[in-house]
Amino acid sequence: MNTAAAPAGSQDLEYRDLDSRGRTVLDRKVVEKIAGQVAGEESFAGGSSGGFLGIGAHSDFSVRPKVTVELAGNMAVLSVEIGLLYPVPLRQATEQLRRRISERVTALTGVEVRQVDITVSWLKPADEITGRRRLL
Amino acid sequence: MRQHAGVLNRTWLLILGILALAGGVLTLLAANGTLHAMSPAMPAAESPVVTGDLHTVFEPAYVTAIVLVAGVLIGALGLSWILAQIPRRNPADTYRLHQDPASGTTLCDAAALASAVENQINTLPGVVGSSALLRGTAMEPDLTMKITVNNRADIQDVLHRINTTVIPDLSTALETPLRRTGIQIEISGRNALAGTTVATTGTVIY
Repeated sequence: MNTAAAPAGSQDLEYRDLDSRGRTVLDRKVVEKIAGQVAGEESFAGGSSGGFLGIGAHSDFSVRPKVTVELAGNMAVLSVEIGLLYPVPLRQATEQLRRRISERVTALTGVEVRQVDITVSWLKPADEITGRRRLL
Repeated sequence: MRQHAGVLNRTWLLILGILALAGGVLTLLAANGTLHAMSPAMPAAESPVVTGDLHTVFEPAYVTAIVLVAGVLIGALGLSWILAQIPRRNPADTYRLHQDPASGTTLCDAAALASAVENQINTLPGVVGSSALLRGTAMEPDLTMKITVNNRADIQDVLHRINTTVIPDLSTALETPLRRTGIQIEISGRNALAGTTVATTGTVIY
Protein backbone atom coordinates (compact mmCIF):
# COMPACT_ATOMS: atom_id res chain seq x y z
CA MET A 1 0.00 0.00 0.00
CA ASN A 2 1.41 3.34 -0.95
CA THR A 3 -0.70 5.50 1.38
CA ALA A 4 2.08 8.03 1.67
CA ALA A 5 1.68 8.94 -2.00
CA ALA A 6 -2.11 8.87 -1.83
CA PRO A 7 -2.79 12.57 -2.29
CA ALA A 8 -0.53 12.63 -5.37
CA GLY A 9 -3.18 12.14 -8.03
CA SER A 10 -6.26 10.41 -9.39
CA GLN A 11 -4.34 7.31 -10.56
CA ASP A 12 -3.45 6.37 -6.99
CA LEU A 13 -7.01 6.91 -5.88
CA GLU A 14 -8.22 4.46 -8.50
CA TYR A 15 -5.64 1.94 -7.42
CA ARG A 16 -6.70 2.25 -3.80
CA ASP A 17 -10.33 1.92 -4.81
CA LEU A 18 -9.66 -1.29 -6.68
CA ASP A 19 -7.83 -2.73 -3.74
CA SER A 20 -10.45 -1.77 -1.19
CA ARG A 21 -13.22 -3.50 -3.10
CA GLY A 22 -12.13 -6.92 -1.89
CA ARG A 23 -11.53 -10.09 -3.79
CA THR A 24 -13.77 -12.34 -5.81
CA VAL A 25 -12.92 -15.99 -5.57
CA LEU A 26 -14.58 -18.41 -7.93
CA ASP A 27 -14.83 -22.02 -6.86
CA ARG A 28 -14.05 -24.74 -9.35
CA LYS A 29 -17.57 -26.05 -8.93
CA VAL A 30 -18.98 -22.74 -10.16
CA VAL A 31 -17.13 -23.11 -13.43
CA GLU A 32 -18.33 -26.72 -13.61
CA LYS A 33 -21.96 -25.76 -13.13
CA ILE A 34 -21.80 -22.86 -15.57
CA ALA A 35 -20.24 -25.10 -18.21
CA GLY A 36 -22.84 -27.80 -17.52
CA GLN A 37 -25.65 -25.28 -17.83
CA VAL A 38 -24.27 -23.93 -21.12
CA ALA A 39 -23.96 -27.46 -22.50
CA GLY A 40 -27.45 -28.39 -21.30
CA GLU A 41 -28.97 -25.36 -23.01
CA GLU A 42 -28.21 -26.89 -26.40
CA SER A 43 -31.27 -28.70 -27.65
CA PHE A 44 -29.36 -31.77 -28.81
CA ALA A 45 -27.42 -32.38 -25.58
CA GLY A 46 -28.38 -33.94 -22.28
CA GLY A 47 -27.04 -35.63 -19.18
CA SER A 48 -27.76 -38.50 -16.83
CA SER A 49 -29.67 -38.33 -13.59
CA GLY A 50 -30.60 -40.54 -10.67
CA GLY A 51 -29.06 -43.87 -9.81
CA PHE A 52 -26.66 -44.84 -7.09
CA LEU A 53 -22.91 -45.02 -7.80
CA GLY A 54 -23.68 -44.83 -11.49
CA ILE A 55 -26.07 -47.79 -11.36
CA GLY A 56 -29.61 -47.18 -12.50
CA ALA A 57 -28.96 -43.68 -13.84
CA HIS A 58 -31.22 -42.72 -16.70
CA SER A 59 -30.40 -40.41 -19.54
CA ASP A 60 -32.45 -37.28 -20.02
CA PHE A 61 -32.27 -34.28 -22.33
CA SER A 62 -33.48 -31.94 -19.59
CA VAL A 63 -30.63 -32.82 -17.23
CA ARG A 64 -27.40 -30.82 -17.03
CA PRO A 65 -24.43 -32.77 -18.42
CA LYS A 66 -21.65 -33.62 -16.00
CA VAL A 67 -18.60 -31.39 -16.31
CA THR A 68 -15.24 -31.71 -14.58
CA VAL A 69 -12.89 -28.75 -14.55
CA GLU A 70 -9.17 -28.70 -14.01
CA LEU A 71 -7.99 -25.22 -13.14
CA ALA A 72 -4.42 -24.06 -13.53
CA GLY A 73 -4.19 -20.37 -12.67
CA ASN A 74 -6.59 -18.60 -14.98
CA MET A 75 -6.75 -21.46 -17.46
CA ALA A 76 -9.20 -24.29 -17.43
CA VAL A 77 -9.41 -27.72 -19.02
CA LEU A 78 -12.96 -29.01 -19.14
CA SER A 79 -14.16 -32.62 -19.47
CA VAL A 80 -17.79 -32.93 -20.45
CA GLU A 81 -19.73 -36.18 -20.30
CA ILE A 82 -22.69 -35.77 -22.53
CA GLY A 83 -25.57 -37.53 -24.21
CA LEU A 84 -26.60 -36.50 -27.70
CA LEU A 85 -29.60 -36.66 -29.90
CA TYR A 86 -29.52 -39.49 -32.45
CA PRO A 87 -28.97 -39.02 -35.33
CA VAL A 88 -27.00 -35.76 -35.32
CA PRO A 89 -23.61 -35.43 -37.04
CA LEU A 90 -21.46 -36.09 -33.98
CA ARG A 91 -18.38 -34.19 -35.14
CA GLN A 92 -20.30 -31.04 -36.05
CA ALA A 93 -22.46 -31.14 -32.93
CA THR A 94 -19.56 -31.62 -30.53
CA GLU A 95 -17.51 -28.96 -32.31
CA GLN A 96 -20.39 -26.50 -31.97
CA LEU A 97 -20.79 -27.44 -28.32
CA ARG A 98 -17.07 -27.02 -27.66
CA ARG A 99 -17.03 -23.56 -29.23
CA ARG A 100 -20.11 -22.49 -27.31
CA ILE A 101 -18.88 -23.80 -23.94
CA SER A 102 -15.49 -22.14 -24.27
CA GLU A 103 -17.02 -18.83 -25.42
CA ARG A 104 -19.68 -18.67 -22.73
CA VAL A 105 -17.47 -19.86 -19.86
CA THR A 106 -14.82 -17.29 -20.78
CA ALA A 107 -17.44 -14.56 -21.08
CA LEU A 108 -19.20 -15.39 -17.81
CA THR A 109 -16.25 -16.20 -15.56
CA GLY A 110 -13.19 -14.70 -17.20
CA VAL A 111 -11.44 -18.05 -17.06
CA GLU A 112 -9.59 -18.89 -20.26
CA VAL A 113 -10.80 -22.27 -21.55
CA ARG A 114 -7.92 -24.13 -23.13
CA GLN A 115 -9.46 -27.51 -23.90
CA VAL A 116 -12.90 -29.02 -23.82
CA ASP A 117 -12.77 -32.82 -23.85
CA ILE A 118 -16.13 -34.30 -24.77
CA THR A 119 -17.16 -37.89 -24.08
CA VAL A 120 -20.41 -39.00 -25.67
CA SER A 121 -21.90 -41.49 -23.22
CA TRP A 122 -25.29 -42.15 -24.79
CA LEU A 123 -27.28 -41.44 -27.94
CA LYS A 124 -31.06 -41.30 -28.01
CA PRO A 125 -33.75 -40.23 -30.47
CA ALA A 126 -35.79 -37.18 -29.51
CA ASP A 127 -39.16 -38.87 -29.17
CA GLU A 128 -38.35 -42.20 -27.72
CA ILE A 129 -41.42 -44.38 -27.68
CA THR A 130 -40.54 -47.57 -25.91
CA GLY A 131 -44.08 -48.85 -26.15
CA ARG A 132 -44.36 -49.03 -22.38
CA ARG A 133 -45.76 -46.50 -20.02
CA ARG A 134 -43.34 -44.98 -17.60
CA LEU A 135 -44.04 -45.61 -13.95
CA LEU A 136 -44.14 -42.44 -11.92
CA MET B 1 -21.47 -61.69 -35.58
CA ARG B 2 -18.21 -63.36 -34.66
CA GLN B 3 -15.01 -63.37 -36.65
CA HIS B 4 -13.03 -66.49 -37.49
CA ALA B 5 -9.34 -66.97 -38.28
CA GLY B 6 -9.95 -67.58 -42.02
CA VAL B 7 -6.95 -65.72 -43.44
CA LEU B 8 -4.56 -67.20 -40.86
CA ASN B 9 -5.82 -70.73 -41.63
CA ARG B 10 -5.49 -70.29 -45.39
CA THR B 11 -1.97 -68.85 -45.07
CA TRP B 12 -0.67 -71.62 -42.81
CA LEU B 13 -2.38 -74.38 -44.79
CA LEU B 14 -0.78 -72.98 -47.97
CA ILE B 15 2.68 -72.95 -46.33
CA LEU B 16 2.27 -76.47 -44.89
CA GLY B 17 0.87 -77.72 -48.23
CA ILE B 18 3.84 -76.38 -50.18
CA LEU B 19 6.28 -77.95 -47.68
CA ALA B 20 4.51 -81.33 -47.83
CA LEU B 21 4.37 -81.20 -51.65
CA ALA B 22 8.11 -80.41 -51.85
CA GLY B 23 8.90 -83.31 -49.45
CA GLY B 24 6.74 -85.69 -51.47
CA VAL B 25 8.28 -84.72 -54.81
CA LEU B 26 11.80 -85.09 -53.34
CA THR B 27 11.00 -88.57 -51.97
CA LEU B 28 9.50 -89.60 -55.31
CA LEU B 29 12.53 -88.37 -57.25
CA ALA B 30 14.92 -90.16 -54.83
CA ALA B 31 12.90 -93.38 -55.09
CA ASN B 32 12.91 -93.65 -58.88
CA GLY B 33 16.57 -92.65 -59.23
CA THR B 34 16.06 -89.34 -61.07
CA LEU B 35 17.81 -87.51 -58.26
CA HIS B 36 20.86 -89.77 -58.57
CA ALA B 37 20.91 -89.27 -62.33
CA MET B 38 20.84 -85.48 -61.90
CA SER B 39 23.57 -85.36 -59.27
CA PRO B 40 25.77 -88.40 -58.46
CA ALA B 41 26.25 -87.17 -54.85
CA MET B 42 22.62 -88.01 -54.13
CA PRO B 43 21.71 -91.55 -53.03
CA ALA B 44 20.79 -93.98 -55.81
CA ALA B 45 17.43 -95.70 -56.04
CA GLU B 46 16.94 -98.75 -53.76
CA SER B 47 19.76 -97.56 -51.44
CA PRO B 48 19.23 -96.07 -47.94
CA VAL B 49 18.96 -92.29 -47.86
CA VAL B 50 20.59 -91.89 -44.47
CA THR B 51 24.03 -93.44 -44.38
CA GLY B 52 26.33 -93.26 -41.40
CA ASP B 53 25.65 -93.63 -37.69
CA LEU B 54 22.79 -91.52 -36.27
CA HIS B 55 23.96 -92.16 -32.71
CA THR B 56 27.10 -90.09 -33.23
CA VAL B 57 25.04 -87.21 -34.64
CA PHE B 58 22.73 -87.05 -31.62
CA GLU B 59 25.44 -87.66 -29.04
CA PRO B 60 26.49 -84.03 -28.24
CA ALA B 61 24.35 -82.31 -25.58
CA TYR B 62 23.70 -79.22 -27.74
CA VAL B 63 21.93 -81.29 -30.41
CA THR B 64 19.49 -82.55 -27.77
CA ALA B 65 18.94 -78.96 -26.63
CA ILE B 66 18.31 -77.77 -30.20
CA VAL B 67 15.81 -80.56 -30.83
CA LEU B 68 14.09 -79.77 -27.51
CA VAL B 69 13.83 -76.03 -28.25
CA ALA B 70 12.61 -76.69 -31.79
CA GLY B 71 9.97 -79.09 -30.46
CA VAL B 72 8.74 -76.60 -27.85
CA LEU B 73 8.65 -73.85 -30.52
CA ILE B 74 6.61 -75.93 -32.96
CA GLY B 75 4.31 -76.98 -30.10
CA ALA B 76 3.73 -73.34 -29.08
CA LEU B 77 3.01 -72.34 -32.69
CA GLY B 78 0.51 -75.17 -32.99
CA LEU B 79 -1.16 -74.20 -29.72
CA SER B 80 -1.46 -70.56 -30.75
CA TRP B 81 -2.98 -71.71 -34.05
CA ILE B 82 -5.59 -73.73 -32.15
CA LEU B 83 -6.34 -70.76 -29.84
CA ALA B 84 -6.78 -68.51 -32.89
CA GLN B 85 -9.70 -70.74 -33.95
CA ILE B 86 -11.87 -69.43 -31.11
CA PRO B 87 -14.42 -67.08 -32.72
CA ARG B 88 -14.03 -63.49 -31.57
CA ARG B 89 -16.31 -60.47 -31.53
CA ASN B 90 -13.49 -57.91 -31.98
CA PRO B 91 -15.66 -54.89 -31.18
CA ALA B 92 -14.41 -51.35 -31.74
CA ASP B 93 -13.48 -49.74 -28.44
CA THR B 94 -13.90 -45.96 -28.60
CA TYR B 95 -14.23 -43.82 -31.69
CA ARG B 96 -12.13 -40.66 -31.73
CA LEU B 97 -14.06 -37.93 -33.48
CA HIS B 98 -11.92 -34.83 -32.94
CA GLN B 99 -10.07 -33.02 -35.70
CA ASP B 100 -7.71 -30.97 -33.56
CA PRO B 101 -6.79 -32.59 -30.22
CA ALA B 102 -5.21 -29.30 -29.06
CA SER B 103 -8.65 -27.78 -28.55
CA GLY B 104 -9.99 -30.92 -26.87
CA THR B 105 -10.78 -34.52 -27.64
CA THR B 106 -14.13 -35.96 -28.63
CA LEU B 107 -14.66 -39.60 -27.73
CA CYS B 108 -17.68 -41.72 -28.42
CA ASP B 109 -17.99 -45.25 -27.15
CA ALA B 110 -18.81 -47.59 -30.04
CA ALA B 111 -21.17 -49.44 -27.68
CA ALA B 112 -23.24 -46.23 -27.27
CA LEU B 113 -23.61 -46.00 -31.05
CA ALA B 114 -24.45 -49.71 -31.23
CA SER B 115 -27.16 -49.36 -28.58
CA ALA B 116 -28.65 -46.39 -30.47
CA VAL B 117 -28.80 -48.60 -33.58
CA GLU B 118 -30.38 -51.43 -31.53
CA ASN B 119 -33.03 -49.08 -30.13
CA GLN B 120 -33.87 -47.95 -33.63
CA ILE B 121 -34.12 -51.50 -34.98
CA ASN B 122 -36.30 -52.58 -32.05
CA THR B 123 -38.96 -50.05 -33.05
CA LEU B 124 -39.36 -51.62 -36.52
CA PRO B 125 -42.54 -53.66 -36.99
CA GLY B 126 -42.08 -57.37 -36.33
CA VAL B 127 -38.70 -57.10 -34.65
CA VAL B 128 -38.46 -59.00 -31.36
CA GLY B 129 -34.88 -58.17 -30.44
CA SER B 130 -31.58 -57.15 -31.94
CA SER B 131 -27.92 -56.74 -31.23
CA ALA B 132 -25.56 -54.49 -33.13
CA LEU B 133 -21.79 -54.48 -33.19
CA LEU B 134 -19.44 -51.85 -34.58
CA ARG B 135 -15.97 -52.64 -35.77
CA GLY B 136 -13.27 -50.69 -37.56
CA THR B 137 -12.45 -47.04 -37.06
CA ALA B 138 -14.53 -43.86 -36.97
CA MET B 139 -13.54 -43.16 -40.58
CA GLU B 140 -14.19 -46.72 -41.80
CA PRO B 141 -16.87 -48.25 -39.60
CA ASP B 142 -18.24 -51.76 -40.06
CA LEU B 143 -21.70 -52.55 -38.75
CA THR B 144 -22.92 -56.05 -37.98
CA MET B 145 -26.47 -56.63 -36.83
CA LYS B 146 -28.30 -59.68 -35.55
CA ILE B 147 -32.02 -59.17 -35.77
CA THR B 148 -34.64 -61.50 -34.32
CA VAL B 149 -38.05 -61.13 -35.96
CA ASN B 150 -41.25 -62.95 -35.15
CA ASN B 151 -42.70 -65.51 -37.50
CA ARG B 152 -45.22 -63.14 -39.06
CA ALA B 153 -42.84 -60.28 -39.80
CA ASP B 154 -42.30 -59.04 -43.35
CA ILE B 155 -38.55 -59.58 -43.69
CA GLN B 156 -38.25 -57.61 -46.93
CA ASP B 157 -39.95 -54.68 -45.24
CA VAL B 158 -37.60 -54.90 -42.24
CA LEU B 159 -34.58 -55.01 -44.57
CA HIS B 160 -35.93 -52.08 -46.57
CA ARG B 161 -36.43 -50.02 -43.42
CA ILE B 162 -32.93 -50.87 -42.21
CA ASN B 163 -31.43 -49.82 -45.53
CA THR B 164 -33.42 -46.60 -45.73
CA THR B 165 -33.39 -45.40 -42.10
CA VAL B 166 -31.05 -47.28 -39.74
CA ILE B 167 -27.93 -47.35 -41.90
CA PRO B 168 -28.27 -43.76 -43.25
CA ASP B 169 -28.81 -42.52 -39.67
CA LEU B 170 -25.59 -44.12 -38.48
CA SER B 171 -23.77 -42.67 -41.50
CA THR B 172 -25.17 -39.25 -40.59
CA ALA B 173 -23.99 -39.59 -36.99
CA LEU B 174 -20.49 -40.64 -37.99
CA GLU B 175 -20.43 -38.36 -41.05
CA THR B 176 -19.00 -41.11 -43.20
CA PRO B 177 -20.52 -43.96 -45.24
CA LEU B 178 -20.27 -47.39 -43.64
CA ARG B 179 -17.59 -49.56 -45.15
CA ARG B 180 -19.37 -52.87 -44.62
CA THR B 181 -22.72 -53.88 -43.26
CA GLY B 182 -23.75 -57.34 -42.20
CA ILE B 183 -27.29 -58.41 -41.29
CA GLN B 184 -28.16 -61.75 -39.72
CA ILE B 185 -31.84 -62.48 -39.33
CA GLU B 186 -33.32 -65.01 -36.94
CA ILE B 187 -36.94 -66.04 -36.58
CA SER B 188 -38.56 -66.43 -33.21
CA GLY B 189 -42.00 -67.46 -32.04
CA ARG B 190 -42.10 -64.72 -29.40
CA ASN B 191 -44.19 -61.61 -29.78
CA ALA B 192 -42.53 -58.28 -30.42
CA LEU B 193 -41.89 -56.40 -27.18
CA ALA B 194 -42.62 -52.97 -28.58
CA GLY B 195 -46.17 -51.93 -29.30
CA THR B 196 -48.02 -52.66 -26.07
CA THR B 197 -49.03 -49.01 -25.87
CA VAL B 198 -49.14 -46.21 -28.42
CA ALA B 199 -48.81 -42.48 -27.99
CA THR B 200 -52.17 -41.17 -29.12
CA THR B 201 -52.96 -37.73 -30.45
CA GLY B 202 -56.65 -38.43 -31.06
CA THR B 203 -59.54 -36.27 -29.88
CA VAL B 204 -61.17 -37.15 -26.59
CA ILE B 205 -64.95 -36.70 -26.61
CA TYR B 206 -66.70 -36.28 -23.28
